Formats: sequence, C-alpha cells, structure tokens
Amino acid sequence: MTRPSLYPYATILPVMLVVAVFTVYPLLHSVYLSVHENVLTRPLDNDFVGLQNFREVVGGYYFWRSLWSTAVFAVMAVAAVTLYGLGVALLLNQPGVLGSTLLKVVVLLPWAIPSVISGIIWRWIFDGDYGVLNGLLLATGVVERYVPWMSQPFTARLCMVIAHVWKQGPLAAVFLLAALQIIPAELYDAVRMDGAGRWNAFRFVTVPYLKATLALVLIYETIVAVATFDLVYVMTGGGPADATAIIGWYAYTEIFRFLNLGRGAALAIILGLLLLGLVMIYLRLLRSEEAA
Amino acid sequence: MKRRRLESAALSAGCVVVALFILAPFAWMLVCSVAGEAELTRRPPVFAPSPTLANYAFIFTGQMPQDKTRHGIFVWQTSHEVRMLMPALRNSFIVALSVMAANVVFGALAAYSFARVAFSGRRSAYVFILTSRLLPAVAVAIPFYAIVQRLELLDTYRALILVYLAFTFPFTVYFLSVYFRYLPAEVEEAALLDGCTRFSTLLRVVVPSAAPGLMAAAAFAFMTAYNEFLFALLLTQTIAAQTMPVLLAAVATNPAVSHALLAACVILAIIPPALLAVVLRRYLTSGLIASVAR
Repeated sequence: MTRPSLYPYATILPVMLVVAVFTVYPLLHSVYLSVHENVLTRPLDNDFVGLQNFREVVGGYYFWRSLWSTAVFAVMAVAAVTLYGLGVALLLNQPGVLGSTLLKVVVLLPWAIPSVISGIIWRWIFDGDYGVLNGLLLATGVVERYVPWMSQPFTARLCMVIAHVWKQGPLAAVFLLAALQIIPAELYDAVRMDGAGRWNAFRFVTVPYLKATLALVLIYETIVAVATFDLVYVMTGGGPADATAIIGWYAYTEIFRFLNLGRGAALAIILGLLLLGLVMIYLRLLRSEEAA
Repeated sequence: MKRRRLESAALSAGCVVVALFILAPFAWMLVCSVAGEAELTRRPPVFAPSPTLANYAFIFTGQMPQDKTRHGIFVWQTSHEVRMLMPALRNSFIVALSVMAANVVFGALAAYSFARVAFSGRRSAYVFILTSRLLPAVAVAIPFYAIVQRLELLDTYRALILVYLAFTFPFTVYFLSVYFRYLPAEVEEAALLDGCTRFSTLLRVVVPSAAPGLMAAAAFAFMTAYNEFLFALLLTQTIAAQTMPVLLAAVATNPAVSHALLAACVILAIIPPALLAVVLRRYLTSGLIASVAR
C-alpha cells in the first residue's frame, strides 16, 4: 500500500487551472450579463432586467431570420459534406486504384489550413467582377456575362456551402474511411458469391455497417455548420440581405456592432444550449455505438 | 474482365476529379501570386500569366515594381498592410509553438495520470475537462475578453496562448490518455518495480513508445492555434500581437485589395500547415479517427 501521493494532483493542476478559469467564470459571467441591461453606448444603465434580453432576442425579427439562414445553411452543408465525405472515403478504400494514392496525400490539405484562408480563396474564385469561375464560364461560353454569385441570396449560400465542403469534407472522409476499413472483407466475398453486384454489396454490407458512423458524422457536422463564423466573416459579412447571417454571426454583430452585451450574451446562451442539445445527441449515439 | 477494367477506370477518374477539386483552388492562388494585378482584372483573367516574383518581393522588401502596365500601380498603396504579413506570421508562430509545447508537456503529464494513476477525484476531473469543450466559442467571447482585460493582457501573446490552451488542453488530454491506455502496461509496471517513480517511468518508458501520438497531439495543438480567428480578432489590436488570420481577414475584406498580393500572402501563410498535413498525414489520420471513434 502506497501512501496517497501528490503526484497525480500536481500533474493535472496546470491543465485543470487553465480549463477551470476559462470555463466556470465565463459561464457565470455570461449568465450575469444576459439578465442585466448592458449596452456599451449607455454605460450608466446596468439594471437587472430578468429575462427581458431573452424575450427581446426571441421576439425579434432578426433572430428568426438568422435561425432560418442557419437551418438552410446547416441542411445544405451537412448533406453536402456527408455525401462528399462518403464518396471520397469509398474512393480511398479502393487500394489498387490508380490515383487513390495521390488523393490520400492531398486529402487533408484543405482541412489543415485556416478557415479564414479557405474563405479568402473561395471568395476570390466566386468574385463577381474578376473571379476565375466567371472567367472560365465566360471563356467556355457557358455564360455571356459575369454572374454576381455572391450578391444573390441563393448563390451566395451555395458558394459558402462549396467552400465549407472543401474545408470540412476531408474530416468526414477520414472518419468514414476508418469505418469502412473495419468492415470484414469476408462479408463482401459472401455477397459476391451470392451473385450480388457492387451496388447490392454497397447496399447490404456497407450501408448497415456505416450507419452508426454516418449518424456521428451527421451530428458532428451539424454542430460545426451551426457554429460557422470565420467563413461568414471573410466571404459574405452576413449578406446579401442577411442570407448568410447565420446565428454565430448574428451573435457577433449584436455584441460587437450594436454593442449590446446583454442581448449578445442572451443570444450566445441560446446558441450554446442549441449546440449542447446537439452534443448530447452525439454523445448518446457514441455510447450506443460503443455498447453495440 | 472488361467490366472490371471499366470500373477501375471510373474509380481512377473519380479520384482525379476529387484531387482536382482539392488542388485547383491552391493552384489558382499560386498562379495569382505570380501574376500582375492588371492580368487578373481582365475579363476573363489571363489564365497563364508570365510569372513574376514582384508580389513576393513587395511583401518581403516593400519594393514596388517598375512595370506599371502589368501591375495596377495604385493597389500597391491600398494593400500596404500585406507588408505586415511577416510580423503577423511571426506572432502566429510564437503563439502556436508555445501552445504546442505547453500541450505536449502539461497535456502528457495530466493524460498519463488520468490513464494510469489511481487517485480520488480522477473521474470527475476528467469529465470536467472534457465537458468544458462543449462551450461554443461565441458564447464565451465576452467573458474571455473580460478575463484578459482584467489580467491586463489585451494585445499580448500571453492572452492568446492562455485562451488557446483552454481550447486545446481538453482534446490533448483526452487524445493522449486514450493513446497511453492502449500501450502495453507491463513495461511500465516493470519500471515501477525497479524503483522508477511515476514521472521517470513516463519520461523514460512511455514517452519514447508514444512518440507518434505525441507528435499528432503536437500537430493538432499547433494547427488549432495557428488557424484560430475569432479570439485573435477580439483580443489583439496591433501588429504587436495580431496573428496571420486576423491580418489576412483585414486585407481580404478591404474592397480595394490587390488580389495578386493577397494570393502571395495566402501561399506564404499556408506553407506550414500544408507541410504538416502532408508529412504527418498518417499520424494525423489515425489521431482524427481516434478522436471520434473511441
């Protein structure tokens, strides 16, 4: 029997300290702010206002507008990322195929670079005045004049989704590839013996095995999409006509443009709860997968 | 047989298409970075401009090119912030390397205790560290600002390092403790029986055999810090501490920006993470998989 030692406590202390300072205090501070009036342009009014900030946020037009934009972006982005990731994973899972090594080497690149930079790159590609996409389309005769992709709500959303897929897709692909690689090869041999083609093998072996991982990827990507901020900041600034002003961006503008900390904090808490709900679902899925 | 070959040709084509989708944006940035502004502001742009290093030369030396026809000359004035790229990259490196070092040292120490040492409160401390990650960044922006302001650390490296440590520690601890748990315990037990302390066992036995995991953890921490934008934007104000993403976002959202200069900045800024992604791709891939699946 060893006497209780200080060693484990000493080793976890630095990590615990940093994490605690930046978790407990922010949480309390956010809650405090959200139930007080706190507008930086009216520094003398700091009354306790109860849930008024929350009521103002939820009762406001821009909140529902940004929720709608968030939902539209999240649905498009998650579907696109998952399909793209699945496609890439299936391609990477074919060892003998020419070109699969090339793909393996480059696939992580977009994931590794800052999302600010991926926003800058795609914003320049889609640029309505000098973008290379317009240039290519014009040179090949697909369009007769340049299209202002980023100035129309629908195409602006689409541009953001493409940039998002390019950046986030690799991660989804890596997750799905890991799941593909643990499918026993005998199963494929068995269905092939039964005369099944590639499509049926995919449907009856791959899909059932992938279900759990697909669910995880869907939830994880939903969390990532809802929390998107950098891309909006660099690519669209929330426009045109608030089409890309998703909720993280809306909270940012409430705080740093309109300087309403109380309402910003209330909004941030709502966003936090929304994400927390998604995380709970994620963890439940993770646990049920472990149990299976 | 013929069908087989057709299939594998289709799959190869798929790989090439995806690889093109991934690489084409980088390639176009590379082309833009050696072009003149005038070539990029034509409709359509010159797809294969005659290459020049003038953009890079301007970023490094501030020297403007003689050839005014290829370079719309006034953009050199309106994009003058690109001269700050090197200081901003320096800031990014100082912050990211510090975060990386602290993650490897303190993260490994804590993770090893969580993985192998029994002590009371272990489970709750572990859960606390992990759940702290559930707070979304935007939700804690104001309080983080308040903390940093109270510590009088606004516009310093230390502020960013502290905040990034709070973001990266949970993942590092989780990742490394899972990793350590998968190492064979017998060697460590033998070392302990031989009179090694926990600490020297960690240093002499665990660290050497966990080198790939430590490398992946280091790379993740580096990338997170190097790529972070929101808090760098909020907590820094001058080039004394401003990191690369903040500078580039400011340059890029300027409507009168020179796209050729911006492209050169982008190419310079992505070299470090791109190198990491290609060189360490095996460790990173297995690390990523471990982070969701286990």
